[in-house]
Amino acid sequence: MPAIRRLKKPLFSQKIRHRFSLQRFLKGEGPETGPIHLIQRRVYILPTKRGLFFAAALFVMLIGSLNYNNNLGFTLTFLLASLSIVAILHTYRNLLRLSVDVGHITPVFCGDVVRVPVTLDNSNYPDRFSIRINFPEQPKLFTDIPANQWVRVEPTLLSHERGRHRLERFTLSTIFPLGLFKAWAHTQLKIQYLVYPKPDAQHKLPRESFYHFNLTGDRGNGCDDFAGLRNYQQGDSLHHVHWKTFAREQGLHTKQFGGDKAEELWLDWETLDILDTEARLSRLTRWVLDADAMQYSYGLKLPNKQIPLGHGSNHRHRCLEALAVYTDDIFVNNNTTDKNIGAHK
Amino acid sequence: MSRALNSLIQRFQSASETNLWLLSGLVLAFMPHLIHLPATLILFSALLLVWRLGYELHFFRLPTRSVRMLLTLIALIITFMAFHTLFGRQAGVGLLVVMLCLKLMEMKSDRDTMVAIGLGYFVVITVFFFNQSIFTGFYMLLVVVLLTTALSAHSREGSKTLRLNHLKLASTMLLQAAPLMLLLFVLFPRIPGPLWNLPSDSFGAKTGLSDSMSPGNINQLSNNEAVAFRVQFEGKIPPPHQRYWRGPVFTYFDGRSWSNSNVVNYEKFNELETISMSYRAIGQPINYTVTMEPNNQNWLFALEMLSALPPDSDLSPEYEVISRHPVQQLTRYSVQSYPEYQLEGQVTPNMARYLQLPNNPTPRIQALIKSWRTKSINEHENIINSALQHYREAPFYYTRTPPLLFNNPVDEFLFDTRRGYCEHYASSFVYLMRASGIPARVVTGYQGGENNPVSDYFIVRQSNAHAWAEVWLKEKGWIRIDPTTMIPPSRVENAQDLLRIAPEVAVIPPGWATNLWKKMGYTLDNINHFWNQWILNYDATRQRNFLRDFMSWFGFGDVDWRAMVTLLFSGMLLIFSLIALKLLRKIPENRDPAVIAYQQFCRKLEKRGLVRAPSENFTAFSLRARQQFPELSPLIIKITSLYQRLRYAPHAPANSLKRLQFTIRQI
Repeated sequence: MPAIRRLKKPLFSQKIRHRFSLQRFLKGEGPETGPIHLIQRRVYILPTKRGLFFAAALFVMLIGSLNYNNNLGFTLTFLLASLSIVAILHTYRNLLRLSVDVGHITPVFCGDVVRVPVTLDNSNYPDRFSIRINFPEQPKLFTDIPANQWVRVEPTLLSHERGRHRLERFTLSTIFPLGLFKAWAHTQLKIQYLVYPKPDAQHKLPRESFYHFNLTGDRGNGCDDFAGLRNYQQGDSLHHVHWKTFAREQGLHTKQFGGDKAEELWLDWETLDILDTEARLSRLTRWVLDADAMQYSYGLKLPNKQIPLGHGSNHRHRCLEALAVYTDDIFVNNNTTDKNIGAHK
Repeated sequence: MSRALNSLIQRFQSASETNLWLLSGLVLAFMPHLIHLPATLILFSALLLVWRLGYELHFFRLPTRSVRMLLTLIALIITFMAFHTLFGRQAGVGLLVVMLCLKLMEMKSDRDTMVAIGLGYFVVITVFFFNQSIFTGFYMLLVVVLLTTALSAHSREGSKTLRLNHLKLASTMLLQAAPLMLLLFVLFPRIPGPLWNLPSDSFGAKTGLSDSMSPGNINQLSNNEAVAFRVQFEGKIPPPHQRYWRGPVFTYFDGRSWSNSNVVNYEKFNELETISMSYRAIGQPINYTVTMEPNNQNWLFALEMLSALPPDSDLSPEYEVISRHPVQQLTRYSVQSYPEYQLEGQVTPNMARYLQLPNNPTPRIQALIKSWRTKSINEHENIINSALQHYREAPFYYTRTPPLLFNNPVDEFLFDTRRGYCEHYASSFVYLMRASGIPARVVTGYQGGENNPVSDYFIVRQSNAHAWAEVWLKEKGWIRIDPTTMIPPSRVENAQDLLRIAPEVAVIPPGWATNLWKKMGYTLDNINHFWNQWILNYDATRQRNFLRDFMSWFGFGDVDWRAMVTLLFSGMLLIFSLIALKLLRKIPENRDPAVIAYQQFCRKLEKRGLVRAPSENFTAFSLRARQQFPELSPLIIKITSLYQRLRYAPHAPANSLKRLQFTIRQI
């Protein structure tokens, strides 16, 4: 039993080691599910460059006061030193107990900007000022948060590569109210976002070459031409109920429409064998978008996956997702391992 | 008109808040320096300040790099022209001010702003090197608030959705810093003495008594009301005729001015053997503490005759107390004096110096002395008495504005002008004594002093400066003679002087306004005295004494610096934790006062035996309550409807809450 318990509950020394580990200081805790509550052990504070400059100035003032034995000089030096000590608390408080969460990130095409909806919740706490939300190598973004309210900010990321990405670690920081100290907290949330391949700019979907007429034709799944009635089934839209027959007490009937006969096509990986993988994916992405825009019914054939015919935004997303995460190697492990995960759970 | 005003307001609103606060702080910080900066430098700095303000308000542009170089050159030239150096205290401050203004000409980046604010704090501390009065202290606190506000506004980055009063925030933070500052002030270990040699002009000009005396050269005695020193007596306060504060003694007379043939500067004095106290004390001693204002001179003042020297001081052969360092800060010493004494009854080898005369006395003087001579054992005493009688009976007048004396000041004063102040009388008396063969010397110092009734200490001012004489008599030693007191009150020009020279005689019935004015003056001086005692004079020694007293209160012995540092850190930790507790706690949920009032109502009914179920809404509860207490029915209906309106109606009438609270109180 004790052995098992030890597994569940880390030793005190382990806890301490974790608490003061350099890893935590530099990178924060591993990815975790939101919202993250910035409790005391998550918020770090150190002097800024300005703070060091201020300290140097104070030191010179202290030496001057000592040399001239000037008591008002001492008073001023001590007042400013105490002020910076008080500033530590104010700066720390500006970040302490903030709740951070990130909402759903809308997929984008490679090269576009990813918008990360970050929610900062400030319940039961006074106004916070000039909080910086910072993704590495991204422009500065600041926000104020009124007491007992939440705000949403949308920092942006650049998408360099198609695929499913884990949301990077980002840092919340503040130097308010004197700029002498910087309090910060690293946050890494278990959030993923999708980057579709960049659509090929030149090669539109060729209208003729992949054009297969559906042999069966109007199956009543379209929405253009009236194609007859059938018995009402649960889930049919009330807009399509043929009320006249119902009024004649002939039972509920649903009107059927055609128009799904024509543009039905397969977008096939194999037809593009002259190109390399990324160019193929890019071309296929473009075709998916074109086909979707023209409201075709389309399917996607990839070497390791086939998406049956369909249409609509969900279908489009499924196709684009398949293109986004496509890898040549069939045996590759889909879950990229992260060394941090679970290391300190 | 109003459009112009509006546009100006708009310009102010669009200006950088940080820079506006910074500019206002700097302008106020420069003010105290105006008195010792040359006009050219002031004008130049003002120009740059206006330029920056104009830039902030989008009127002007900042100068280009080459123009800035030119401005810097001009600044250096102006400073050098004014001070003939770029170093030292005065020139240093001038340079700091003008360089800070130049910094404003290129201030754009974060770093520039930080440097400007830091230099602003430096200007504050340089003001303290010139003046540490209580007024300056509080005035500079205002400047610190403004600069800190600038610092706070500077740290406000990014989108500003919330309005923030930086001035209030900075003041609050400074207020929170005050207890920590106090602790640091009391406990931070002080090191006695300067760390390195200071520039010679570090402490300003010498003030107070001078090291020579030339009666007849100045035709106006200044009426300087500045405080020379303050004295706290323990127990008995000596009567006015014993309040002679001995200072520089002059033995050498060149016909115009008196000086000390001995030594004035300490270095030379050090080579002499230290003289020890040797006089016969008579009667009871007086114990007192003197707090001297800095005057950059070496004299320490004490009542005649001191029984032991203050620390770090020596005694000259003329019984002057000379400090080993110039008095550059407030200096405090506790001493003991015997007002009645007998000094050096025996002939000393250097007695000849006290008979030195610059020239042969004029026939008029010789005739006068001759008339005093008698053939008796007490010839010397008789001569002294005759001389004093001469001053009393001949038409000598006391005046602060005597006529100038030219060829032979002593002779002219004794026979022609006969108008003068203490220096004239002391000088001529000593001359007469020496001419008659009696060893004599001039003693300067202060005489008298006024009691501050507000808290019982003596104030001795520069206007109390005085000169008197000492004559040597066989067996009796040196005896103090003050010829000025011989002038009868009727021949004193000014009532104020009369008060000083003959306090027993002068009774001026003061009006109530004078009284009030005086009382205010005393209260103010009392505050100053306290400020001096506890703020400005807090040094290594006082710190040690204070801590010793404080610790002995808790039953500890003496404290060394280690105990002090421990005390300092634990105290700071304690205060820091207290502030942290206050700052880092959660604020309570924003509670609606209507809810609080309604809960009070529920508690009241609870006491009567009706408990509201947790799930019960207030309409149902109201119904049940009315059934149980029909007599309260109208009140309950009123409370319920008011509460409903307050909680759910979009705009409840303004007084609804008051009415709700009032109705609930009726139950």
